[in-house]
Amino acid sequence: MSDDETLAGLLHAFVEVELRGALTLDDAYACKVKYLGKKGLLTELSRTLGSLAPEQRRARGQEINEAKAAAELAYEARCAALKAEAEARELGVFEDLTWIPPTPPGTLHPVTRTRRALERVFASMGFDVVDGPHVEWARYNFDDLNIGPDHPARDMADTFFVSPPAGSRWSPGDLVLRTHTSPVQVRTMLTRRPPIRIVALGTVFRRDDDATHSPMFHQIEGLCVDERVSMADLRATLYRFVSAFFERPLEVRFRPSFFPFVEPGAEFDMQCPFCGGKGCSVCKGSGWIELGGAGMVHPAVFEACGIDPERYTGWAFGFGIDRMAMLMHQIHDLRLLFEGDVRFLEQFPC
Amino acid sequence: MLISRVWLAELLGDAVDLAPLSDGDLTAALTGLGLEVEGVTRTGAGLETVVVGEIVGVRPHPDADRLRVVDLFDGDAVRQVVCGAPNVPAPGGRVLFARPGTALPGGMVIGARAVRGVDSVGMICSETELDIGPDSSGIVVLADPIAPGTPLPDAIVGVVDTIIELSVTPNRPDALGHVGVARDLAVKLGSLWRPSPVALPEVPDDPGIVRIEAADACGRYFGITFDGASIGPSPLAARVRLHRLGLRPLSNAVDVTNLVLMQWGQPLHVFDRAELGEGRVVVRRARDGESLRTLDARDLSLAAEDLVIADASRPMALAGIMGGDHSGVASTSTTLLLEAAWFHPAGIRRSARRHGMSTDSSHRFERGVDHGDGLQGACAEAAALLQRWCGARPIAMHVAQGDRPGPVTIAFRPARCSMLLGMDVPRPDVERIFRGIGVEADASDPASWRCVAPSHRPELEREVDLIDEVVRHHGLDRLPMQASPPTAEAAGSPPEVRMRQRVTAAIVDALREQGLHEVVSLAFARPASVAATGDDPDSPGVVRLANPMRGEASLLRTHLLPGLLDALALNVARHHRPVTLFECGRVYRNAAHASGSGPTAEIDAALPDEPTRAAVLCGALPAGDPDRAAIDPRRVGAALLHALARVGARATIRVAASPMAWLHPGAQAEVVLDSGVVVGRFGRVHPQQLVAWDLPRGVEAAYGELLLEHVPDLRVPQFAAVPRFPGSSRDLSLDAAIALPVERIVSALIGAETATITSGEDPPRLVPGELGRGAVELVEDYRAQGIAEGRRALLLRMHYGCRTRSVTDTEVQQTHEAIVEAAIVQLRAQDGHLRRR
Repeated sequence: MSDDETLAGLLHAFVEVELRGALTLDDAYACKVKYLGKKGLLTELSRTLGSLAPEQRRARGQEINEAKAAAELAYEARCAALKAEAEARELGVFEDLTWIPPTPPGTLHPVTRTRRALERVFASMGFDVVDGPHVEWARYNFDDLNIGPDHPARDMADTFFVSPPAGSRWSPGDLVLRTHTSPVQVRTMLTRRPPIRIVALGTVFRRDDDATHSPMFHQIEGLCVDERVSMADLRATLYRFVSAFFERPLEVRFRPSFFPFVEPGAEFDMQCPFCGGKGCSVCKGSGWIELGGAGMVHPAVFEACGIDPERYTGWAFGFGIDRMAMLMHQIHDLRLLFEGDVRFLEQFPC
Repeated sequence: MLISRVWLAELLGDAVDLAPLSDGDLTAALTGLGLEVEGVTRTGAGLETVVVGEIVGVRPHPDADRLRVVDLFDGDAVRQVVCGAPNVPAPGGRVLFARPGTALPGGMVIGARAVRGVDSVGMICSETELDIGPDSSGIVVLADPIAPGTPLPDAIVGVVDTIIELSVTPNRPDALGHVGVARDLAVKLGSLWRPSPVALPEVPDDPGIVRIEAADACGRYFGITFDGASIGPSPLAARVRLHRLGLRPLSNAVDVTNLVLMQWGQPLHVFDRAELGEGRVVVRRARDGESLRTLDARDLSLAAEDLVIADASRPMALAGIMGGDHSGVASTSTTLLLEAAWFHPAGIRRSARRHGMSTDSSHRFERGVDHGDGLQGACAEAAALLQRWCGARPIAMHVAQGDRPGPVTIAFRPARCSMLLGMDVPRPDVERIFRGIGVEADASDPASWRCVAPSHRPELEREVDLIDEVVRHHGLDRLPMQASPPTAEAAGSPPEVRMRQRVTAAIVDALREQGLHEVVSLAFARPASVAATGDDPDSPGVVRLANPMRGEASLLRTHLLPGLLDALALNVARHHRPVTLFECGRVYRNAAHASGSGPTAEIDAALPDEPTRAAVLCGALPAGDPDRAAIDPRRVGAALLHALARVGARATIRVAASPMAWLHPGAQAEVVLDSGVVVGRFGRVHPQQLVAWDLPRGVEAAYGELLLEHVPDLRVPQFAAVPRFPGSSRDLSLDAAIALPVERIVSALIGAETATITSGEDPPRLVPGELGRGAVELVEDYRAQGIAEGRRALLLRMHYGCRTRSVTDTEVQQTHEAIVEAAIVQLRAQDGHLRRR
């Protein structure tokens, strides 16, 4: 076999047989190493050059180099082809992404959700968020709020009384499950000096159980005490609150009412956030939604809390968180809130 | 409180013309006064075709003994009507005749038809058929000779009316009668109104008929005696009015007291004087052992604080609350004693509460009725009506005096009013309002008016009460929206309080992120459910309600598990899906606890402790449940660890050192903070609990909880150098007892590392793996084929690294072998067969 034949044969074997037979980049590389590596078949040919005459050597060297270059080119081409094939193969795959096993999100209870939203809005308005004990002194729940032992307003809140622990110096009637969040007002005024700006959110209890009442529910209470605080400020604050909470300007109106711990006292309504006051099914066509009670802190409450009612004035308001949650989510039955059916709970993922 | 629009208009007379006001305008005006309208009922609609009919002739029905054929003149023609009533009057009598086409309030439409072969047109009606009274025993027979053909609404005032139901707040006793509502309404409508004066009968004063012995409890007592009374029905118009106001007409004397009650808000009582020993009354406290049988036939044992109206010897009425069963008028009564009195509100309230009674009378006395002109007006009105309706002749009168509240003088500062409202109300308006509601104002000092509250507004005590009146009548809708500038920044909660709020919120968020659904359960507990979680329901530590609503839920919960099991039971009863719940709430226990600081702290230490718990309950029916993982207790444990990680707390799990009886004894663990504090626990719910909650066989549940008071504060994460040099891992295969917890093996390995590595500069150590894995992690827990009973094959992976250099295989291997050998030696004490595989 002549040297020419050897060279051509090797090149042919490399390009036409081995490279063509290489189906992966790794195979192709292995071929390259076999022919063009340090001890590759084509590389080895260069070592024979030393035995040739100088004039032959030069020509022969050029032939070998050309063959090696051709092999390199063939290798690069084969690699490119294999890469293209691999890419085409990879992209040719169809993955069915249309069915994902559900991973249902956890949910917050609508009361928690609403409570947090309320806290956020009032915190942004400069109110401190506070709470107090559920088992409360009748004194803070009633007496210090100007609801004396014989006050007919005690009828308004049907109270759960808590038996004092055996052997304690407390008598029945001293301890109650708080009937509203208002004792937190008393606690705050007893422990802080004005100016005071707080909201108290929490669980309250009344002896009521029917389609529209639960013996346990949730309230929010706001209190502002400072020098020269007016009822106009109360109205402005409630307007700012409902507008921020529902993210649209909503009017607030007062109707005179009575709560022993405020005077003047009022109930307040907001323009229906769902129709903007035009009238809809939620507001039963009236354009207004009743929210809660409000008024100017009664001087007797200030006196009970050691705050000078001549120097300071203040306002308070309160409303039901559960009712607000029901309004927000269009829940029509209060009982759904507290029975824990997951098919109800899972509806509040965001 | 029901208000008749017709009566209101009648009282207001010429002072205020209600005619231009629609019912809507009227209710809006009342609402604007703080008299909340709860309902509006229009009565008498469609009764225009019921007319007065004059009986012309009555003859028997040829074919029915009980029916009669009546010829009746209805103003247009003589009609033949078949009537079954037993009281058809003789010719000339007047009845109420519904012409054909009339739709009665009950919905029946009157026509013409044959009754047993006799033609009958229209119908002669009873009170109930017309809804003008409760009497269905016979037809209405009119006492007055009203012209035939007169429509019923014209014949009897108040048949057509608008009845407004008011919710009257406790501060408005004056609005518990039409007079008070009329007075308020007149002011709102820009006018001034006073009730028309009625004179008391001019009879001799007889101090013998009334004596007040308890002057502190009875401020004033009007007694008027009558004779010659004849007890019978009241005039029809009066009966219609009572019926419209929801009261049952009884007899003329009783109806008088009820109508005056509804008019003046003043409760009255009429005694049969013949039943009064010595014909007189004494207002006194009850004596030892005295009892009273009330009108509604209850036997009361009277207490020494009870105020009674007695005769010479025995109690005849529980003052201000209810009369005795023989005190009232009977059909045979002829001599009467009318009582109009003022009793001390607190005393009435205490007596009513003691005896569990609430009457129209006590309701008003408790809130405070007028002890002045209103009392006298009501008394005079009643006396006049008794004369008119019962033919009673007044004989004598006495007004006994006790301790009456004196006039209340209040300083009113217009500037204070403007400041408190944030709005100026013009002086003439304030004066008009005060005059209208009966407040006498002396404005000679323009900065501070001297005001005297009227006796019909006992709750007007302070300046703010007058400011309330001003804004109530001026209109709350006129209040501007005007922010008051704060004088300083308000104080906030102490940082530790805010921190606990943030921790609680973070824990709730974290549990929610684990795919759990938040539930809010009632905080009450049944004794059985308290017992279920290992507490003795009778122990002093359990917080008890003195007046539970239902016998069962008489306690406050000591634990969240029972509430969550209730929810599980409800879900399992309704559907077959896995239930994955969490709750964050308080539990209650009489126990010593920290109670904050400040002036409330000392007293608060005696309140029950109310620690917050966060609990997870996952449960499901096993049959065909595709999601067994949902109820794997390790999932619950993972949720707890995730929640702790969310607040930056590191915790480990270990076999429960003090197992809970309500969890499966072999499947429960504790979550322990690095500090050693047990912050929570989880495991399978004890099968007996599932039985106790009546869950179907096969339901399984896993439960876990965190004690939030032990969850550490959120901390700012601190950066630690990222390892720059590659580490190396070694696997460890063990043949271990199932009973040997992985946590023990891991602790032993980590402990052995500390003991083994003694010297050298930056030796290879166990380091946390990537992606938050521990330095030692469990890769596989295999316990099937080829593994002996009670044993398992564990594959653990241990990660090694150095701080300042790359590790070498040799040194890692050496360290690894040393650690493993030391750990196995130590662990053999717990598992004698422990060996490497």
